[in-house]
Amino acid sequence: MNTLVDSPLTAAPAGTGRVWSKRWPIAVAVLALFGWLLWSVSARQALLLLVGVGLGWALAAARFGFTTGWRHLIEQKDPSGVYGQIVLLAVLAALSMPLLAQFPETQAALGPPSVSLLVGAFVFGLAMQISDGCGSGTLYKAGLGVPLNMAILPLFALGSFAGSAHLNGWLALGALQPVGLVQQWGAGTALAATLAALAVVAVGVGRWSGQRFSFNSMPRRWLWGALAIALFAALNLLIAGQPWGVVYGFGLWGAKAATALGLFDPAANAFWSDPGHAERLHQTLLLDVTSITNIGILAGALWVAPRRPQDARPLTGAQWAVGLLAGFVLGYSSRLAFGCNVGAMVSGISTGSLHGWIWVPMAFAGSLIGVRVRRRLGF
Amino acid sequence: MLSITALRRWIFWIGLFAFIAWDYRASDPVNLRLEPPIIAAGSGLPVSGGHCARPK
Repeated sequence: MNTLVDSPLTAAPAGTGRVWSKRWPIAVAVLALFGWLLWSVSARQALLLLVGVGLGWALAAARFGFTTGWRHLIEQKDPSGVYGQIVLLAVLAALSMPLLAQFPETQAALGPPSVSLLVGAFVFGLAMQISDGCGSGTLYKAGLGVPLNMAILPLFALGSFAGSAHLNGWLALGALQPVGLVQQWGAGTALAATLAALAVVAVGVGRWSGQRFSFNSMPRRWLWGALAIALFAALNLLIAGQPWGVVYGFGLWGAKAATALGLFDPAANAFWSDPGHAERLHQTLLLDVTSITNIGILAGALWVAPRRPQDARPLTGAQWAVGLLAGFVLGYSSRLAFGCNVGAMVSGISTGSLHGWIWVPMAFAGSLIGVRVRRRLGF
Repeated sequence: MLSITALRRWIFWIGLFAFIAWDYRASDPVNLRLEPPIIAAGSGLPVSGGHCARPK
């Protein structure tokens, strides 16, 4: 498949000597930031930076693309990426649910089943195929230096901010209370139900694609990528007390910029006037859990970048315009959906939130349209 | 001579660093006495971070 963003990520790895000559300044910069955070901000945030670096490294080195995995299933009936995601969800649920039950301080990624969720997840699934990046995908590809994803990032933040500012209006269209399986059934039953549901999905994918789930036939990168991401995501829950997320940090960055420019009054907005959000607007973003892991993911992907030289062919003006618009829509819709593929799907399902299970079919339906739009635009 | 890709990367990272630096200077000073626990699980303190799954 000849697409812009596939080509740089499948380019031949560079020589070892050249790779390490480019890596040592990155390592020094990350260690310097770690030390400074430890000394001047918070030990927790310093640790979370390293968790983010680990996530970014695993995502980029394994090329663990949620968007690509879905697209390959739809277009080529290749289920390996989706199987990798199922392994990730199963392992992370097995790590997270006992943690949630054992430590009452920790919180699940509980979003409300709502009209907002249905609309947001569908639109997100569509937009992520056009921009070739979900929440984590946009981050790690920006870290790798993929031009469209680097340009999308600020628009993702702007969209996420706009979505959060409008969220209460969307919630007024109809919403139920969040449902947490661990809280309702306990960790053992919730985990058994989650694993059973994932097994049903795996069987369905196997029947549709004609390739049954098998560890032996899965490309290794999907398997080790799933295990590494699950480990770092579980560490995020242990250290931060909340599951891995991406979108909140972007919305916070957008809100800070809009407030500083005098374009937005947080006190007049239902979401940003909430005491917790208002406090974070006044604090440095380095104290925000999601922001620090996002920075870490970018740095982790940058570490991998020297092994994956960029040789992307240029985009047309129309492709740039549509890609950037899709980036804004990604941010907006992920707020409506109470998370992207990370906050809603990975963290939602692995911590037993019903909204994660609603998010997946809606986003997949959006992706069915998104891959066609993408093809039509010649990406 | 920088390639166009390298130039784009530099612009991206300088922009990100500048935003973080501006935010750090413009925000309230960090109060180290109110530092959150290193590991939240088992600390006995409620978690107060923002997350995209939460409606509030």
